[in-house]
Amino acid sequence: MAPSTETEFVTIVSSDKFEFIIPRSAAYVSETLRRMLSSNNFPEGRTGVCVLEDYSGVIVEKICEYFCYNEKHKDQVNVPDMDIPPELCLELLMAADFLNT
Amino acid sequence: MDSEIPLPPSRRVRHRSPVKNPPATGAAVSFQRAQRLSRFDDHSSQPSSDPALFSSDDIPASGLENYHAPVSGAGRKRRYRGTWWGEQVLDPKRKRADFKDKRNVDSGVWMGSDESVAESLLPSEDGSAWGEDLRKSVLDPRKPGSSIPVSIETENMSSQTRIAFKSPEESDPHRFAREVIGDCLDKGHESIDLGEFNLGTIPPGLLLPLQHLTKLPSVKKAPVSENVFTSLQPFLSIYLPNNSLSTLHKDLFELSNLKVLSLRNNKLAEIPSTICKLTALEVLNLSVNQLTYLPWEVLKLIQQGELKHLTVRPNPFLTYDKAKIAERHYNNKEKENHEDLSPAVQSHTERWGPLHLATGTITYMDMEGNPMGDSPSSNRLTLTPGLASPVNDAPSLREVALRAVSKLPYLEQTTDEELAEYPALIVPLLQQAREVRAAGGKSCSVCQREYVIPRAEWMEWWDLIPFENGMKMPRCPNEMLRPLPFRRFACSLSCVPGSC
Repeated sequence: MAPSTETEFVTIVSSDKFEFIIPRSAAYVSETLRRMLSSNNFPEGRTGVCVLEDYSGVIVEKICEYFCYNEKHKDQVNVPDMDIPPELCLELLMAADFLNT
Repeated sequence: MDSEIPLPPSRRVRHRSPVKNPPATGAAVSFQRAQRLSRFDDHSSQPSSDPALFSSDDIPASGLENYHAPVSGAGRKRRYRGTWWGEQVLDPKRKRADFKDKRNVDSGVWMGSDESVAESLLPSEDGSAWGEDLRKSVLDPRKPGSSIPVSIETENMSSQTRIAFKSPEESDPHRFAREVIGDCLDKGHESIDLGEFNLGTIPPGLLLPLQHLTKLPSVKKAPVSENVFTSLQPFLSIYLPNNSLSTLHKDLFELSNLKVLSLRNNKLAEIPSTICKLTALEVLNLSVNQLTYLPWEVLKLIQQGELKHLTVRPNPFLTYDKAKIAERHYNNKEKENHEDLSPAVQSHTERWGPLHLATGTITYMDMEGNPMGDSPSSNRLTLTPGLASPVNDAPSLREVALRAVSKLPYLEQTTDEELAEYPALIVPLLQQAREVRAAGGKSCSVCQREYVIPRAEWMEWWDLIPFENGMKMPRCPNEMLRPLPFRRFACSLSCVPGSC
């Protein structure tokens, strides 16, 4: 099997088995995911699949949305605010701490 | 005829029946009662204004066939008071003053038609009973004041709510301050003097009514000249000298028409950046406090706002000589010695405007707001800080989530005990969001975006001598510049000067 570090997309799996396929560069927004996915020593790095055990599908969807948002607005000056439902923001704070982003 | 279809009689009966037998519903009863209690039932067919005076010729005399006939009665026309369709007033000698008397009793304008309105028209025994009447009739409009248990309940309720409205631990200074402000509001005084009130804090809601302060017109006597017509927009001044304020409530910065603010001789260690909302501010006195720096937003008030007179000394400001300076923007071209701060004054801006002298070193913060590289608590995962992650304009996920948190409506009510139930990782972040919210929000000094966690901060040194003397005189050519420190925050690493 070819080293997955060359694949364009990676898969993020939530605790309730929702799978989100996002560009590798977007996933690299997170420092934690970058380390997991770019290394050949971790299983995530070999398969390109990263399981976030602690977070449900709703949260992981929002996280993936943020990755794409960050990727899109990387070099722009006036970044619009991302819309976050209030009921998710505390869990997202926890996720942000884990993902180090 | 037999074939003719008879009119449906049942329908007429149905149509008329509610008129014949009015159902005894509460609404109808109350409506009748309201009519009975009305103050205007004596001449209910008459309008409330004076009846109009009409005139006409006699009917036969005014016909077209008599057009050239000599007018009988020499121009006398028939006059009558009443409505145009000929209804006569019962008492035509009624004076206008009678109506005026009536008007003094009650304005006569009521926007409701149910029983509560009719009852509240009646004079009650005392004020509280009036409220009880109203409440009872609102709660139970069909049985006005019939059952005793209901009235007992409402009495208990009202006493409870009265206690709840009046906060029990309001201290004397706060109460006095509230009285002074109420007095100023009543009399339309535009200068609020709260000096030497021993105020430790500004309680929430104390200053907010001043938003609606209006001056009273100054016209007193009949001969009115042109110059008494002045704007009723108040020249709002708030004086809070010689108190022991250590924090400022965000209400103070909601008074967008505040012109003069004096906080002399308090215990302020920091001026919140929300001061930039006071765009009409002209005079600001911050002397004799514990300030070591000023918010950069004060400078913005000078450059874009109306601020003309800034009194900030004495304060324990950071000294320019010992500060770490990254870049000097202003130095005398003729003399190479940077420490000699005597300007070569030429242009108008150099004489009157603020002068940017230098920029201090920039401190970058990580995503949790800790200074990068210095603190051991940061860099838990990041082994190569700053270098691996490129400069990114987009806010971090923490920041995005915290902005959502800071917009939550109940954030201010959460106590520390409640916060302690959350996971320990996010408690400091939530506390910070709450502080930012209590301060009225922060916005990036470069891109104006709201933020919760600053990512960079630095000092700028500016000279404001013309503003310190109230724009009375410009900088003298040989005067020493007196740099003031202004602390500036940025919301992202790319807002830092030099990076873009």
